[in-house]
Amino acid sequence: MTASTLAAPAAAPTTAAAHAPRSRAIWLIAPALVLLGVFLLLPYLNIVLMSLRPPAVGAPYGAGFTLGNYGRALTDGYLLGVLGDTLLLGLTVTPICLLLGYPVAFHLARTRSRWAGLLYVLVLSPLLVGVVVRSFGWLILLSGNGVINRALIDLGWIDTGLQLMNNRLGVTIALVHVFLPFMILPLVGVIQSIDPSLEAAARSLGASRLRAFLRVSLPLSWPGIQAGTVLVFVLTLSAYVTPVMLGGAQVKTVSVLVVQSLIDNFQWPAGAAQALVLTACGMLAVAAYARLTRRLSRGLA
Amino acid sequence: MNHGSMVADRVMDALLRVFIGAVYAFLLLPIVVIVLMSLNAGEFLTFPPQGLSLRWFGALFANEGFMRAMGTSLALAAAATVGATLIGTGAALYVVRHATRTREALRLLLMMPLMLPEILTAIALLFFLYATGIGTRTVFGLVVGHVLVTLPYVFTNVASALYNQDGSLEQAARSLGASPARAFVRVTLPLIKPGLITGALFAFVISFDLFNMSLLLKGVGMTTLPLQLFDYLRWDFDPTAAAVSTVSIVLTLAAVVWIDRSVGLRTLRFG
Repeated sequence: MTASTLAAPAAAPTTAAAHAPRSRAIWLIAPALVLLGVFLLLPYLNIVLMSLRPPAVGAPYGAGFTLGNYGRALTDGYLLGVLGDTLLLGLTVTPICLLLGYPVAFHLARTRSRWAGLLYVLVLSPLLVGVVVRSFGWLILLSGNGVINRALIDLGWIDTGLQLMNNRLGVTIALVHVFLPFMILPLVGVIQSIDPSLEAAARSLGASRLRAFLRVSLPLSWPGIQAGTVLVFVLTLSAYVTPVMLGGAQVKTVSVLVVQSLIDNFQWPAGAAQALVLTACGMLAVAAYARLTRRLSRGLA
Repeated sequence: MNHGSMVADRVMDALLRVFIGAVYAFLLLPIVVIVLMSLNAGEFLTFPPQGLSLRWFGALFANEGFMRAMGTSLALAAAATVGATLIGTGAALYVVRHATRTREALRLLLMMPLMLPEILTAIALLFFLYATGIGTRTVFGLVVGHVLVTLPYVFTNVASALYNQDGSLEQAARSLGASPARAFVRVTLPLIKPGLITGALFAFVISFDLFNMSLLLKGVGMTTLPLQLFDYLRWDFDPTAAAVSTVSIVLTLAAVVWIDRSVGLRTLRFG
């Protein structure tokens, strides 16, 4: 702005004109600030208050404050089991997404094919199709007499249907599908910014292709790997629809439990405490991971 | 480079291609299966379909619950898109053109709804709506929730369109005597149009498919299409559900094609 005012021919009204638009420009962002301040920041502060309320009968919460909800959330064996299961789910889905997503991202970032646009849409489209619809697709595929079981029986490979859903396997498959684009997209961005000639240089110095990839491109794509894995891990922890639809009564995650506490049992303080304990665990895991990978990437460099 | 390593490279290349193809197939599989199921002439969700038919789309259009839910979802998505587009575009203009020291903080704040778990935001909003006495009797809270979640998509798309050109064109228009409003409509708006279209369409599609927010913030007796489909699948398992899903997939596809067209148009002009 300052640089271009120098070039502007009408320099006379600058001071007045330049200050008026700036103070008026505040109105451009004011609606967003009000929306985010009132309906995002305040509610998040309020949820902390709610987790400190005592439970009540016939009302969502009682008067006064207590730490009891956290006490229960951290000592109840069942709740801790569900918390552990949820974290484990995140720790399974994330590496699988990385393993499946990295080659696709690398190819998509480097390809000069005229189908690149279509491939990009293919990666993006699952993200845009609703999560209920996608989980429904997996329901059709994985159910007792679903597409996969029927095909396997018709081929004579199995006699009775395999248990592919209402268990951890079904939830994992569907979650990998749901969150794979969140792994691929950040990776594509980072890999595109790596100069391909670096790898070519390593190869011309005698490195094998695998070695050139492992020593040059892979370390340089660390930021993308980090962004993608953190995103998928956090999203998996808070997933609700997919575990309900494909896990049945067998797979309980914290989100399922929280919604149960809120809607079915009308226990708002307990639900708030459970949700915050999960969020804290997720943040601790991400922080530990960031520390670990920082040391790791320093070692690589 | 010796012959052996070249053969090894070629084999690895082929294997990698097969692997990548398999991942793309995995991404598409559930969507393709749903579309095929919705065209099934049979009574149940069977594969392969027992002949092709549009009967389940007929069943869908005769299903009052689904049609009402679809109307609600379309109206809600339209409201959320208008809200997010107005608020997000203003915010993008400010952050890119006017903010200086606060730019990074504002950008982070505006992207926050995307980074926070949707279900936690929905819970927080539910509590807040009750604490303030607003409640969920009206659609206010639901619309606010949808605007919150879709805001980052509009913001980021418009902001990146704005980053691609500096403000000198507007200033040229202004110095030639155009009013700020006129400079905005005649210069800025055409320049950010691709970002605006992409952001708004993204917002619409995301809002149309939003589940957690609607589950927690809907009023009693109200339902959206994803919620209705979710409930339906608890009791029924017939191709009507596949027909609903196909309608939602086609809607998404239309939006993606539209985005592709508008972005393609831009590359045609500037690339």
